[in-house]
Amino acid sequence: MSYDRSHRGGGNRRRHRDDYDDRRRDAYESPADKLKTAIIKFGDVDVEEELPRKHSHVISNLSEAFRIAVTEQPYKIPHYAALLRRLHDSDSTEETPPTTDDASLGKQILEDFWKGFQAYLDKLAWRETRLCIHFFAHLTVAKLISTDSMFGLLQSFTAVLEEFGVSHGRAKKAAVCAAEGLMIGGPILKASSSERVQEVINAIQSYNDTVTSPKWLIGPILKMYSDEGSTSNADELLDIVLQALRTLDKSDFAETASSFSQPYISYADPDLTAFTPYNLPSVLVPPEVVELDGLSTDSGEDAQVKKEEWPEYFLRLFDNDASSRVTPDPKTPAGYAVHSGLIDILDIFEVNRKECARLLIEYPKWTIPGTFKPKPGGTVVPEPVPGKDWQLESTVIENVLGAYFVLPESSHKSIYYIGLITELCKLSPSTVGPAVGKSIRKLYSTLGDGLDVEVARRFAEWFAVHMSNFGFQWVWKEWIPDLSLAVQHPKRAFMRRALEFEIRLSYHDRILKTLPEEMQAPEGHTISEQAPGPDFEYDDPAKPHHDAALAVLNLFRGRAKAEDVISHLDTLKVTLETSDDGGVVNADLLIRSIAIQSLLHIGSRSFSHLLNAIERYLPLLRNIASGGASSAGGGGNAEAKADILTASAAFWKHNRHMVAIVFDKLMQYQIVDPTDVVGWTFINRAEIRELSEATGPLSLSAFEWDLLKGALDKANGRVMIARRKVMALRKEEDDTRARVKASGGADGNAMDVDSEVKAEETPAVDSPALTTALKAFASLTREQKGALSRTLDGFVSCLAPGSSDSNPNPHSRVVISEQGWTDRAGWEKDEWNSWETWGWYRQFCRSYAPYLRNYSTTLYTVSFAKFDGSTDPAAELLKKTWNVSTGQE
Amino acid sequence: MAHVVSPLDQPSNYKDSQTRVDRQRQNDLLSSSTTLYIGNLSFYTTEEQIYELFTKCASPEDGGGIKRIIMGLDRNTRTPCGFCFVEYYTHTEALASMRYVSGTKLDERIIRCDLDLGYKEGRQFGRGKSGGQVRDEHRQDYDPGRGGWVEERYADAQDGPGAVAGGGGDWKEAESTGNDSRLKRGRSPEDEGDNTRLGQRSRIEDEVDAERM
Repeated sequence: MSYDRSHRGGGNRRRHRDDYDDRRRDAYESPADKLKTAIIKFGDVDVEEELPRKHSHVISNLSEAFRIAVTEQPYKIPHYAALLRRLHDSDSTEETPPTTDDASLGKQILEDFWKGFQAYLDKLAWRETRLCIHFFAHLTVAKLISTDSMFGLLQSFTAVLEEFGVSHGRAKKAAVCAAEGLMIGGPILKASSSERVQEVINAIQSYNDTVTSPKWLIGPILKMYSDEGSTSNADELLDIVLQALRTLDKSDFAETASSFSQPYISYADPDLTAFTPYNLPSVLVPPEVVELDGLSTDSGEDAQVKKEEWPEYFLRLFDNDASSRVTPDPKTPAGYAVHSGLIDILDIFEVNRKECARLLIEYPKWTIPGTFKPKPGGTVVPEPVPGKDWQLESTVIENVLGAYFVLPESSHKSIYYIGLITELCKLSPSTVGPAVGKSIRKLYSTLGDGLDVEVARRFAEWFAVHMSNFGFQWVWKEWIPDLSLAVQHPKRAFMRRALEFEIRLSYHDRILKTLPEEMQAPEGHTISEQAPGPDFEYDDPAKPHHDAALAVLNLFRGRAKAEDVISHLDTLKVTLETSDDGGVVNADLLIRSIAIQSLLHIGSRSFSHLLNAIERYLPLLRNIASGGASSAGGGGNAEAKADILTASAAFWKHNRHMVAIVFDKLMQYQIVDPTDVVGWTFINRAEIRELSEATGPLSLSAFEWDLLKGALDKANGRVMIARRKVMALRKEEDDTRARVKASGGADGNAMDVDSEVKAEETPAVDSPALTTALKAFASLTREQKGALSRTLDGFVSCLAPGSSDSNPNPHSRVVISEQGWTDRAGWEKDEWNSWETWGWYRQFCRSYAPYLRNYSTTLYTVSFAKFDGSTDPAAELLKKTWNVSTGQE
Repeated sequence: MAHVVSPLDQPSNYKDSQTRVDRQRQNDLLSSSTTLYIGNLSFYTTEEQIYELFTKCASPEDGGGIKRIIMGLDRNTRTPCGFCFVEYYTHTEALASMRYVSGTKLDERIIRCDLDLGYKEGRQFGRGKSGGQVRDEHRQDYDPGRGGWVEERYADAQDGPGAVAGGGGDWKEAESTGNDSRLKRGRSPEDEGDNTRLGQRSRIEDEVDAERM
């Protein structure tokens, strides 16, 4: 029922529609609006006939309002439970027991609400499902729902944990549904059956006992030598759920009252002779829908991608002193309630970070008084509760950052969390600012003590964007003493990286000025000496081949045709090879370098200039990439493509941002393939000393990781596009066939029988478009597999180098031993480089696990078969990491 | 998913005043748009700075990324005049920018993003009488990032070069046409920073004292 009032009376607007165009006019019609309209319009057509319908209409609108309220404002759930309880009462002015039987408005709303819950469950909308369970649990304590049926509901969720081959993502979400329901409903549930409480807890416990090895790989604090997953300053979701549950259970859920609001608790008990509590119907958690698209790679591997399969670790920042905690410990019931309450707000309000920030700051209003320190100057000062009295801003920032640092990837984009913290600071600079400052210092202090490399990278990213929003004001001087650390120590690497990211968002001079002298100085190795400009190797007339390069450059400047440049380069090559001084040893390499650097030179003014240059000279670039053989694409020449990448990187050696951009666009225009970039990053990159922090023995720093990630994401993204295309074409053809069939059936009478039979016998033939799309899909999955395989191989040769490998890193085995780690105070550049490389290998395995799993058998054979029977600790750790990621351990 | 708050990725009342497509078509285009209009840039902000910030909303693993950036240029001087278009490969990325980046700072200015119908040749130029953006002719504050004070000559720019250039007109930003449209929706409070007259305020409002951090 929708009477769109905004369309009426709009004549005036229509005449002025060039000036007024409110696109929000089709906005969602709220239940309140619908309800009002439904009642006001009642009887306009036929009052007799409308009456019964109108009644159910009113109820369903009310229950929809409850569903929206409960699933989008979880912090109010206890109060909605109280409201619904009131709606059960015959006399809503007093807290009288519900007496009227099934007829009460409240009961009807509850029954209708259940249908909505069932719909969420059918869609496996986990968050909505879980929040409805909160609501039901509160209603159980408020005695509107029978304990027996509530147990039944919780046990439908623990049943998921016993499914054969249940995915971790599914099990985790089901376990949390059951656990949170029990935490809230515990007081009344345990009184009704302590055995069933045990069953729920035990089911979660025994599931959690099976997930030890992934925890080792996914914790934000690295201890590579140890098998343990848990560390003191990070909490895993199911671990904290269980600890909080056990604590509650020990006291027969007495602590529920101090952890969750129960505004209805003082209401009188219902008279059970006249009132029957609602029995929740029994449910089955539907199985996960596996979208079977039947698409597999040419070698028959499954090409599906499934994410969210990891345990969830939250980094804790403020835990040093248990006696005077500023933020709650999520392992305690009250701490868990705050943690999950804040994380829910964070997820639900992702659509509007400004509102989200406001709600986070207003969160204490929904908690039990005394949970957070009162705002200074507040009128009512509640008695601080011992063990609580936490600091709101530190708690909020700790939880936002905790969610941001979840490995292998956060649920939302980094920039969401970063933007949210910016909004929080804008809302209340004087209180949030210090909490942010403290968090930065705390995170910085854990660098070098095992903070995961990916977490450190996100930290630098947050730091730079945050500073960009707040005038780049950071007190750098407090970190001056750390300049005495090894140049690749994580703290120094962080400073360099953060400053590099700041410069990308701003400019060199601006950022340089924010630093103290010690850091500005070249010997401080903290910030680049000059603004990151291009470096055209042949610019200097004194340099060899200056004239040859200048001639090529002038062709580009004069917008010469690509063919003309190609033939000029061919001539130049001959000249170089036959020059008087015996000829150039590698004329191909030189020609490529001159051509690429000159092209980048004309495209060096801006990103758009770069794109124009590439687009205009695509035929030339393809010609170079193919090794000059032909300009028809397809594969190209690996050496030529590596030379293109080397020339590009050399040209932008003072600007790593541009290196990443140029590589990305070269892949985008299919001049080089992701596999080429991966190979280059592991091998050829070392040729350009200025570019890399990870020089010396083979190793990777964050910059190289970014290049790898760019290449892998490109390869995976292409497969994704190809898959979508195939699906769309298939659907189109199915639809066409169905239409033909349908119309054929209609005309059936006119058709002679023979031809009809023939038509049915003809097998479905794919259209040329679909055939092409399938071919593209096959070749792109090959490329994807190639890129992944090349990366794995690269890591293996970095981390477990054979004695014959060139430039092996002698430290890769030391840094993973317990003794080595304990002695890290004496580590030099190479040790830290090696440690960081191990960190990126871990991130590669866990973050690309959804893709790697599809190819695990082949990739294992290619990269690890040589280690069979080996006791090399590096080989062991490589294999173990791999096996855990691909779900084989 | 948003009944209790309005999402930040909704199209605002920003539009291309010269577009020839009707409203229904415009809405359709916007609901799948991959292009953003970015406003309130400093004249000195480079494409690489824009690329760095907007990459954070890209989803390369999903086939996305920044396709191109088109700098807004002064029609006469061909220098940046404070706006640009960012074109992604996917609509989701454009929405992410609306949610996460619009209203945050780039080069120390609060920038604003809006979904756009899609770039067409010619739209890269300012539509003001002076060659730049119209909004810079109505400014009353000193804005060093956008050429300082509004110069006197703008007042009688009808006679100046480019005043009668074809395809003139203007990027109708809400604030720049406030005098001729009483029907225009008022600026909502969260649009702060979009409005040049609030420029002074926006520069002070988010400073967090670093000493306190």
